Amino acid sequence: MAAQSMAAALAASLPAAAATPAPAAPTYEAIPASMSKVIDVEADIQLTSVQLDGLVVAKILKHAREVSSIANAHGLLLGLDLDGTLEVSNSFPLPHHLADDDEKSSKSVARYQTSMLRSLKEVQADDGVVGFYQTSSLGAFFSQNLVDTQALHQDKLRHGGVVVVHDVSQTTRGNPSFRAFRLTPQFLDAYKKTNFSTTSLANHQLTFSTILEEIPLKIRTNPLLKSFLGELATPTGSPLTDATPDKATVSAIPPSFSALNLNSGSSTRNLEQITETLDNYRTEEGNIGYITRVIAREKAKAEAHMAKRKEENADRISKGLAPLPEEDAYRLFKIPNEPSRLESMLLLGQLDALAKSLGQTSATSLVKLYGATAGSG
Amino acid sequence: MPSEDTKERIAKVVDVTRTVMHYGWIPLIIYVGFTRSNPQPSLINRTPTSITIHPVALFSILDHYLRRKDDQPRVIGTLLGTRTTSSSDSSTSENEIHVHSSFAVLHSENSEQVAVDMEYHRTMYELHTKVHPKDVIVGWYSTGGEGNLNTYSALIQNFYGQETAPNMAVHVNLSTGLEEGSQAGVKGYVSSPVGVFPKPENCVFVPIPVHLQFERSGVDLLTSTAQLPSSISSQPISELESLESSLQNVSEMLDRVLGYVRSVLSGEVKGDPALGRYLMDTLGTSTDDLEKGGFTSRLQDTLTFSYLSNLVRSQAEVSSRLALVTS
Repeated sequence: MAAQSMAAALAASLPAAAATPAPAAPTYEAIPASMSKVIDVEADIQLTSVQLDGLVVAKILKHAREVSSIANAHGLLLGLDLDGTLEVSNSFPLPHHLADDDEKSSKSVARYQTSMLRSLKEVQADDGVVGFYQTSSLGAFFSQNLVDTQALHQDKLRHGGVVVVHDVSQTTRGNPSFRAFRLTPQFLDAYKKTNFSTTSLANHQLTFSTILEEIPLKIRTNPLLKSFLGELATPTGSPLTDATPDKATVSAIPPSFSALNLNSGSSTRNLEQITETLDNYRTEEGNIGYITRVIAREKAKAEAHMAKRKEENADRISKGLAPLPEEDAYRLFKIPNEPSRLESMLLLGQLDALAKSLGQTSATSLVKLYGATAGSG
Repeated sequence: MPSEDTKERIAKVVDVTRTVMHYGWIPLIIYVGFTRSNPQPSLINRTPTSITIHPVALFSILDHYLRRKDDQPRVIGTLLGTRTTSSSDSSTSENEIHVHSSFAVLHSENSEQVAVDMEYHRTMYELHTKVHPKDVIVGWYSTGGEGNLNTYSALIQNFYGQETAPNMAVHVNLSTGLEEGSQAGVKGYVSSPVGVFPKPENCVFVPIPVHLQFERSGVDLLTSTAQLPSSISSQPISELESLESSLQNVSEMLDRVLGYVRSVLSGEVKGDPALGRYLMDTLGTSTDDLEKGGFTSRLQDTLTFSYLSNLVRSQAEVSSRLALVTS
């Protein structure tokens, strides 16, 4: 009853409670209004924002840099939620598992996860899993893997968990970006039914933009980190007496102006990726088209059979014979299930994100171009 | 006059001394050379000469320090990273230690004894190698500035020396700057034994240089966040915003230079010729080559990109809407 007595103590310290003497026995049924935002057992308070600690930012950046650009780095986020803000205070990377021996690797990942959490708990670190992070390049983070993991988390974790997406290509341009997402309820509903046919999509009003909803993300540095960074960035006099003016002061973190770099880079790679995704999308569309045609053909066959059977039956009835059963007709023809549109939807989402990132890059480089000519003119 | 007996005895002593000197001289020189030189050379030259540390390791240490128990004056943990040996000259080889990350280790110390949870340390190391197979244990860290280098530090150093054998363990001491009169900072040490008989609790911590290695943009983001009064910044920052802040920064610096130049011209401050030359070199850079054709072609490229990206996006949108149409 530590929380209750704490609540009582806090209620007693409030001015309103001080005027009327607080009852000696703590009330057990109602949580005081002042604590209702802190004690949130049932996770009733909706998440409104995600707050990343500086440590987590550094860890994700490091992990993203270490993993090659083809594979996406991913790891778990640890933290707590408080009054609608999900405070992510720690993270650890997950081992990159290969596609083969899936069964074995997933087991070892699970074992790794549990023993890591136990170890972190021993040194008083947060050990509540609140989501996971994934790195992507050029904004294309939509993937089957991400959706699967997040759907799994949304069931298991408190508040459903979040996914934090980090864009590597923006980091190399000097502007690291972190975004937090969560699956929308309508997508989750469709996902649980594993029904991504056209009618289901239309019922749930799903397009690629309604798969995920974004949660505002903030970055926070704790006061200790703040003072430490400040100390590192403070320039001190060089030990050399005859240093040139550009070397007269040294600091562990010199100021940088990478944002002023005129070369925006990576446009070619961006275009290549767009073409690649377009090709994939075409293939996927071809598959869907093929299956749709097969369905139409089989349906036509079945209907023709039915019409024939009806005719036959009418004939038989007129002749005074017992009619043949009609319902087995559909069983004679194997009509395939309607194709899942999830894959093509995800590909479209990827395409959109890639194009968006290209658009942003070109917009910035336009500004830089005009700025540079104005400066030199 | 000494007797014949005494003479013979002296001759014998001289003879023995000569033999001892003959065989003992070189070992003596080596011994003196070993104990007097600094830093201590080891038989295999593996003494680290510098430490390069990644901010993640430092931030983890700070986080660990924040989460320490009340009765813990300092926290310790393991440093993980790689060793590189590059021989810059023929005679001296550089032994650099790259610290990539760190993890906290449980320990307790009081006036009588010090205990380190070795099992925890091993478990964490095994977990870490699953993700980063190349990283090895390179040393340990503790918080609390130079004043905290005591006998226990020597004992822990000895323990980590066994873990990193045959290489030497390094020690990184991070001062959080929270105690009065101490400045936040990072110092690196290697240890060398002192005394005639090597004992684990006797050692000298020899300072070695520490460098910081980081992803530029990540640290920029954190420092800019730290400079805000609320120390909370929201994401994502658009590229134009970061460009704008950079430009403002440059503009402020230009103003400062302008102020200095004006005050030199008006004679208030005596001009520094080195500074003047430097300013001329920096600001006199020609931007003529930007004009020649580069601009137009670049502009056309960029506009094409922009057009293409908009086209692809609208097509994707249309396509996703069309998928919803049921027959």
